[in-house]
Amino acid sequence: MSALTALARLRAVRDGVAQRITTVRHCHISDQPLVLIPLKLAGEAAAPLAAMVGTDPGHPRLLVVPQPRNRDLRFAFAAGLAEVLLPYIEGFEKSTETVERRGGEPYERCLDAPQILVPNRSAASFTGLLGRSTRFRRAEGPYPVHPSVPLLGRWLTYFADRSQQPGSSVLLAATEALSLHWATGQSGLEDANLAALLGWIDPPPGMSGHRAAEEAEDPLLWPPAGPTTDPGFDNEVLAPAIRAYEEAPTDRAVDRVSQALRTQLDPTWRLMWRAVDLLRSLPEGSRVKDRWEIDRGSFTRFVERIAEGSPPQARRDGAVGAAARLAGLERARASYDVQRAHDDPLLMAEYRLTGEAFAGTVIAADPEHSEGEGRSRKLRPLITVRTGDPVRLTPGTVVGSPDRRGHAAEIVEAVDGEITLKITKGMGRGRTPAPGSVPEPGERVSYTSLIDDFQSSAALPGPEQTPWTHGGPPEEYEPGDDDAQEEWL
Amino acid sequence: MSDSLDALERRIAGLRAEVRRAVKAKENSLARSLRGELRRAEQAWDAAISSEAPTPAREPETSLLPIREQVHQALAMLGVPTSAKLIVAVNDAFFSRELRGSQLTSLRRDEERSFRGDPYARPYYLCAALTDRLSPARGLLADSTWPAESRVLGPLSPRVDFLTSTMRIAEHLARLAEPPAGAVRLLSRMAQNIPGAVEGFAPADPATAIRAARAELEVHRATDAAQRAEVAARATRQLPDAERLFGVTAMNTLRGAC
Amino acid sequence: MNSLRERAFLNRLDELRGTMPARPHDARAIAALAANPGCARRAVMDAAGVDKDRAARHVGFPAPFGQSQFAITRGNVFESLVKENGCAELLRLLRELLGLSVAQVGYRDVESVGSHLRHSHTRALIDRAAREDDGTAVFYDHPLFSLEIAGHTSYLEPDVVAFQIGGRFHIVEIKSFGMIDGQAEPDKVAAAARQAAVYVLALRTLMADLGHDPERVSHDVVLVCPENFANRPTAALVDVRKQLSVLGRQLTRMTRVEYLLEGLPDDLTFDLAPGEDGVPTRSADELTQALLQVPARYAPDCLSTCDMCMFCRHEARACGSTDLLGRQIRDQLGGVSGMHEALGLAEGTREAVEGQEEIARLLRLADRLREESLR
Repeated sequence: MSALTALARLRAVRDGVAQRITTVRHCHISDQPLVLIPLKLAGEAAAPLAAMVGTDPGHPRLLVVPQPRNRDLRFAFAAGLAEVLLPYIEGFEKSTETVERRGGEPYERCLDAPQILVPNRSAASFTGLLGRSTRFRRAEGPYPVHPSVPLLGRWLTYFADRSQQPGSSVLLAATEALSLHWATGQSGLEDANLAALLGWIDPPPGMSGHRAAEEAEDPLLWPPAGPTTDPGFDNEVLAPAIRAYEEAPTDRAVDRVSQALRTQLDPTWRLMWRAVDLLRSLPEGSRVKDRWEIDRGSFTRFVERIAEGSPPQARRDGAVGAAARLAGLERARASYDVQRAHDDPLLMAEYRLTGEAFAGTVIAADPEHSEGEGRSRKLRPLITVRTGDPVRLTPGTVVGSPDRRGHAAEIVEAVDGEITLKITKGMGRGRTPAPGSVPEPGERVSYTSLIDDFQSSAALPGPEQTPWTHGGPPEEYEPGDDDAQEEWL
Repeated sequence: MSDSLDALERRIAGLRAEVRRAVKAKENSLARSLRGELRRAEQAWDAAISSEAPTPAREPETSLLPIREQVHQALAMLGVPTSAKLIVAVNDAFFSRELRGSQLTSLRRDEERSFRGDPYARPYYLCAALTDRLSPARGLLADSTWPAESRVLGPLSPRVDFLTSTMRIAEHLARLAEPPAGAVRLLSRMAQNIPGAVEGFAPADPATAIRAARAELEVHRATDAAQRAEVAARATRQLPDAERLFGVTAMNTLRGAC
Repeated sequence: MNSLRERAFLNRLDELRGTMPARPHDARAIAALAANPGCARRAVMDAAGVDKDRAARHVGFPAPFGQSQFAITRGNVFESLVKENGCAELLRLLRELLGLSVAQVGYRDVESVGSHLRHSHTRALIDRAAREDDGTAVFYDHPLFSLEIAGHTSYLEPDVVAFQIGGRFHIVEIKSFGMIDGQAEPDKVAAAARQAAVYVLALRTLMADLGHDPERVSHDVVLVCPENFANRPTAALVDVRKQLSVLGRQLTRMTRVEYLLEGLPDDLTFDLAPGEDGVPTRSADELTQALLQVPARYAPDCLSTCDMCMFCRHEARACGSTDLLGRQIRDQLGGVSGMHEALGLAEGTREAVEGQEEIARLLRLADRLREESLR
């Protein structure tokens, strides 16, 4: 949270409408996303109650569990969800590209990947819990389930795990994706309400964002986006409908529960697609594609894992796995922050505010300047930039420029708003710099010490070398009968 | 038929009253012979009731009698004061009978009303278990024909009774050629709370469960018996008949005080 | 406080509450006292035992809290499962967790006495256990403790108190949220810990009162939850030392509410003056004015903890307070409390007063950078 965002929030309050805090979009939005709105039974860890799911805004599929405490009905629900989700996922598995890599075998990567959109972070976590409660099931033996159920569980787990990866877009929570791009006139806590958030971003004509958000907080007008339902709805509508089903499990009774739940899901369904439209309306940041490429790679590897018949994801990471995962997340977070700043002057402004970046006009340039003699003579063009930013970079600091990929420089001197830089990379191989590679006087440039070149992972041992202090090498996770027969009450 | 049942019930009530008088007067041999007659009358009543039961096609839920019977049968099997929930579970597991917990809620009150209206008219009453304060223990049902020591509770009794009912269930299971799956599940769930009675989440083996329950029971038995005897003696000494079966509630105490 | 002053103080609190009976605090309410210690409005209303829920309703800002009957049922079913058969499930868990010996199985239901006697019966049983250390019982079911809060007694009902041979008491807290693969939702565990800390404090107070060492009540509480997705209970020890010190601090502050009362008008009251039919006769405007006399310290967190939250949020918005946007934002604004003020500083339409130079410079720069980047 920076002073810039704080300022944007103040403006949002004053102007009655949310303010942009980015100039571009930083997440991938698929041409064909799948929207999933899960609801759960209050008081239960992972008892699904209903879900609205689909890729066509005009034709959502509604799945309900007319008696959420009934195990068979739950698995029927899971099978129904699999019926929608698995074909969607499989649709991306077929078309692939061959990726060449230096010093390695070329490999296949899917041309596109699935993208699931859920309303909020709780829905993402609940997706993970649904995955956890279904992935160990078996199609044969005691308590058999439909063969699609364990597969669904593995995919849901994959999506929920992957959504914790900064910069990944395979599973997005709408409130998070929107909050990344807009600042509202309310607190971050209140932004977790999708209807209220959209009320600020895109209030109905003639209504202020504040008014729209206030209206959105009324569960009678805007049912919560889940996964937990409105207690009033539970007590007054849902409970009698479920009771009626218990007394006589007829089609009519199922309809009654479905109709009740539809009233809670329909509004959110429409909000989700409005969120999609709003996000699509933002121009995409230039590095979004790179990150989606990584997502495509991750998706492809998981498709292969399943094809190879690997076991479902373990209940818990081993010690090395957990450490590696944590280190990976930290790296991804840092890299994601830098990439976004480079893509977006408004985010870069935050670093200019703290003195880690600056922007200004070139007032002098010496493109032929070199260092060293004879064979070790190197081209090191010098430029001087005038800036009004409070620069806090010391001589010797390596900086990059968001405007020029592959360009690198070093701070030589910084005095009174005049910064002298020595360009070290990106001039080409010739004796003189490639045309355009050295900024010319009068040109507007920006530089930052934020560079996306993070060391490769800390030296962690392989899982088979886990030290005894961390439990020794973990056993390969073999899900047992207990896993498959685990109660799901 | 009903007439003869009514007559038998009157006779049973009369005999019980005579037994009590005989006991009070310390006429032991008379009491004993009266008890014999009482037992025969009760048997006759049992026979009459079971021959009568099938004739009218009554809705099982509308009559209290079958529920009463079902509960009694479960209690007879377990032999200790038992919660409604476990009675339902036992019925479900062994007799595949659909008994609902809600059907048992008013049972004890109905029994008490019947007893107060016409004491000892029935061969048995589904009564309360008494706490060491001689109040009815929450949610437990007992059989009025059990000895007083079995119908009162000391601090160790809940555990002792749990171990005992686990053993009874295991014994019953062991006698069945084809143990119902629900009953095995019930035993397994109970056995999981007794050290050494079952391996992990595997289905419980009745013999192992009995051995483990008995081992722990040995630790508590003597203390529990002494504590129960003390409470039972107090109950016998201090309480009139109805309270001896149904306990002293705060209401009763207040009523007595007024 | 000397007794005369104390009596005056308690009288003052009674006046603030008016004709309504004091609202007793349950453990959840007492735990919530520690949630926003800086808020005078809340401190005063709680100390006086005002029914905040009703007050908020009356002034037109009902709190958005409600509980689903599904959650309530689930909680009750799970609790009875843990306690059935003489706490058989709980016994298994405590044997694993606290290493109880096989002989330690005793169970006493404090509710075996009439409800009017439960509190004294709890006292007697705890005293006996502590004095004789005989371990006749491990489980004390349905105990009833009391805690004095600003002159009013609140009665508290922990799920179970466990007593161990060796003389230690443990509070057992039964919750129906799932512990999945050894992990539960941190928010829920934290809330359970805060609540359990209230029980620990109450039992320690009782122990001290009876002349026993309060430290014999463990600061580790036993949290019992369903394991994974099934109903089978599992347990973990939760250290509530931190919650205890927060709570202790807050309860001491309650007595300092005296100082908060000092500047307030003598005739101030939050009385709803209900008529014979129970309907408040006091006008909502009048009550609103009374409430506004005591300063609140609104934060978005209040939205999940305090009955007055909607009222205070409305007030914060009406006076343009940066509190509305959350502490983080307020920190970013260098503690400038007015939104207009902060915007004025950023846009250069307002001069920085002494001490604001630094934040004004930063905000102006932020404003320039934002404009420049959006161009």
